[in-house]
Amino acid sequence: MSSDLSTLSLRKREEKDMADRHSWILDSRECHKLHCAAPKPTTSADFLAVKCVDIRKGNHGAPKWLIPWGRDRCASIRGFEEAASQEIYANDIVFSVHIPFQGQEMSPWFQFMLIILQLDIAFKLNNYIEDNAIVTLDVAMAYRDELSDPWTELARSVEQRKLQCAFHAPKTADNQGRSYECDVLPLIELGSVAHKYYLVNIRLPVHNVKKINMGIGEINDLHLVTIFQNGGFTKVWFAMKTFLTPSILIIMIWYWRRITMMTRSPVLLEKIIFALGISMTFINLPVEWFSIGFNWTWMLLFGDIRQGLFYVMLLSFWIIFCGEHMMDQSERNRISVYWKQVVPIAFGSCCLFIFDMCERGVQLKNPFYSIWTTDVGAELAMAFIIVAGICACLYFLFLCFMVYQVFRNISGKQSSLPAMSKARRLHYEGLIFRFKFLMIITLACAALTTVFFITTQVSEGNWKWGEYNIELNSAFFTGIYGMWNLYVFALMFLYAPSHKNYGDDQTNGGAAVSSAEELQLTTTITHADGPTELYRLAGKEAQE
Amino acid sequence: MYAKEYLNKPDAFWKEILLTNEVKIELFGHNDQDMKILTFLVGLKTLWVLAFSSLSNTMAVNNSGKWWGIVNIASNGNVLPGTDIGPVPLVLDPSLQLLSRRQRRLIRQNPGILQSITRGLLSAIRECKWQFRNRRWNCPTGPGNQVFGKIISRGCRETAFVFAITSAGVTHSVARSCSEGSIESCSCDYRRRGPGGPDWHWGGCSDNIEFGRFIGKEFVDSSERGRDLKYLVNLHNNQAGRMTVMTEMRQECKCHGMSGSCSLRTCWMRLPPFRAVGDALKDRFDGASKVTYSNNGSNRGSSRSDLPHLEPENPSHAMPSSRDLVYFEKSPNFCSPSEKTGTPGTTGRICNSTSLGLDGCELLCCGRGYRSRAEKVTERCHCTFHWCCHVTCLNCTTTQIVHECL
Repeated sequence: MSSDLSTLSLRKREEKDMADRHSWILDSRECHKLHCAAPKPTTSADFLAVKCVDIRKGNHGAPKWLIPWGRDRCASIRGFEEAASQEIYANDIVFSVHIPFQGQEMSPWFQFMLIILQLDIAFKLNNYIEDNAIVTLDVAMAYRDELSDPWTELARSVEQRKLQCAFHAPKTADNQGRSYECDVLPLIELGSVAHKYYLVNIRLPVHNVKKINMGIGEINDLHLVTIFQNGGFTKVWFAMKTFLTPSILIIMIWYWRRITMMTRSPVLLEKIIFALGISMTFINLPVEWFSIGFNWTWMLLFGDIRQGLFYVMLLSFWIIFCGEHMMDQSERNRISVYWKQVVPIAFGSCCLFIFDMCERGVQLKNPFYSIWTTDVGAELAMAFIIVAGICACLYFLFLCFMVYQVFRNISGKQSSLPAMSKARRLHYEGLIFRFKFLMIITLACAALTTVFFITTQVSEGNWKWGEYNIELNSAFFTGIYGMWNLYVFALMFLYAPSHKNYGDDQTNGGAAVSSAEELQLTTTITHADGPTELYRLAGKEAQE
Repeated sequence: MYAKEYLNKPDAFWKEILLTNEVKIELFGHNDQDMKILTFLVGLKTLWVLAFSSLSNTMAVNNSGKWWGIVNIASNGNVLPGTDIGPVPLVLDPSLQLLSRRQRRLIRQNPGILQSITRGLLSAIRECKWQFRNRRWNCPTGPGNQVFGKIISRGCRETAFVFAITSAGVTHSVARSCSEGSIESCSCDYRRRGPGGPDWHWGGCSDNIEFGRFIGKEFVDSSERGRDLKYLVNLHNNQAGRMTVMTEMRQECKCHGMSGSCSLRTCWMRLPPFRAVGDALKDRFDGASKVTYSNNGSNRGSSRSDLPHLEPENPSHAMPSSRDLVYFEKSPNFCSPSEKTGTPGTTGRICNSTSLGLDGCELLCCGRGYRSRAEKVTERCHCTFHWCCHVTCLNCTTTQIVHECL
């Protein structure tokens, strides 16, 4: 009986153990299932480099790849205290990182891979980091697609990075062994992840005479943080693009057909809306599908260019839209009228383009390159960004001024509206209505984008909503992307010129429009041949 | 009648039991001719083994901190089992005698963690010695299974610190080994989805820290038994150690949006240097709170809310948070050697004659006085350092006065 009891109690404990373990597994799986529903846009993985010892003296001959673990793993040391006793020198140490971890594979769905270097440097009274210390890295990267394949070199370079470290405790003997807080160093940017396994070998060669890697403190560890897009997010993103492309394309064709049905040639505003549609389609086009099959490293750069083009179009559209609703009696149907506003856009975007070519363009050749690592480069990059920033400020000043002018004209027109003839009144009411409408949705979109942007910057992570774990960032990205697509869609749909004539207006309005007014309308209205959808809506509203 | 129940259990359950008791495997060998008979036999045998092991468990009442002994076995130069070459018969390994069944199972399921745990323990001991280098109790460790000596069977502040720092050391070290790739079962894999499965490709996974905490909890806490005050206090301090590792982590971010702007940003948590963990725990040591058994724990079995828990001895104090260290016993003064508390005393310790603090001769020698002698010290000076391993120095000899407690 007693043995029965003890068995029972034991069994209970065993079950509890099992339950504990199960609940843990279940827990993680469940949270994972929710992750599956909405994966984060990007993941980071922290790799601690294994300190391999390159036994061959003199490092001659074919490059040898040192692997941190597995069957052919290198001879390694745990800590550098061991090294001193074994007559190992800094030049024999190779930091080795295998990406990804054991039992995992990289995949083209990860789209890109950024690798960041973090150094753990301990403070020693007599071995501290000197001011403006520069660390020289001999980096080599290799890949393979099968575990049994030999490694193939992907890139190799000797890079210099500035060490920016701070020590927060007083520099006394008591605080020896405490770590510096160092800024992260960008190391590699790859525009595609075409292979399954990657290997990074880093040496920190020391040269007493040339002062290479001297005065960089006592390095304890080297971490590589890898950032890549989540496969799940890529799939959601691709799906979204694939779905959005035809919808924007169809409305674009419809819009252009409407314009060609007119007897006149298209006006500037229509052209710019159409251009906006084209640039949106250009972003939407799911070219990324090809990156799954092909090793296209220029995808990051291409994405930047596409995005930049869309911004240029959007900014130009806002200016032209305001100009066309100015309601003063001047002819504006040419882009050259807007040179003051368009020049900052063009100049600013050119600056950013050159900067991007210098950074991501050069990275196509040398993935270790970064413009920020050299002083001249960093100043140049800063100059480009500042010029672009000034251009952006100029642009927004102009835009605000134009919006202010439009509102001033609107209030002037509104007071004289009742005195106008019906056709004219309808025309102006239409103009005011559609301007205000666009103002509202543009402001709403911009506000939402800003709010989302700030939220993603402030709150990293997810948001519990009842039982569901919502990945804020991916929701925001897809949300904002969808929103601007909808914006462009709405623009084309609502501002397409109507092929119908004033017909019913004329019959209802009765009174003939004087020829003087007619003339005025044709000069001011960009759509003299017929009202737009919105205009018609406004007109109907006014009739009621 | 239990055998019948056991027979209905799925295969996984059997595997569990078979693997848990290596003795049995040796008894049975590998004759899988008639599965039914074997299963029945195993069932009977399991019953017997279960009954036996439960008996032995009740006999070995105090296992707390027994696993610390692995640190001394490892330093003897024995090759630790569970390297990634393949499973090693664990029965043969002496370090495993110190471990509980559950701990052994964890080690078997996660190859590589034993080395990691040992390393964590070593760095915990080093950190403990560093943090307490100027105090009367300077974290003495000895050979054999009783690494920290008798202090661990007490309930004073020092005990609390030892429990917390060792637990933190394991968590820290396992998380570190994970990011080094030396533990295969980290991150995605413990979800049992297979290599490169949908998880990793879909949502990525980098829960090294979580895994460290999980192993820390499972491994360290499972050496505690009982329902008494000491049990609760030890568990609390273990948890405090783990929590300190978690809260000392720092977030780092990288912008990688269009042209490198911050429209896209990825952040990650960085494991703190172990010194930072030690510092934080030392702060908690200084502000540790004395606790007692909660009163309403006496009428047990009435409801779940009456589960025994800790409360501060002084009712006006706040409840200790999960990161606070707790103790229930006043510390001995550690001045003179004592067999009962297992303290070696401060005789022979080097003290600082100018300091008025804890490392000053007055306090450290407990007023017994000290003797001074001149000593020639050869030190390395005018060194040029490399970032690792290599120092070229001159030898400088100086004479220093050394003060030693009587």
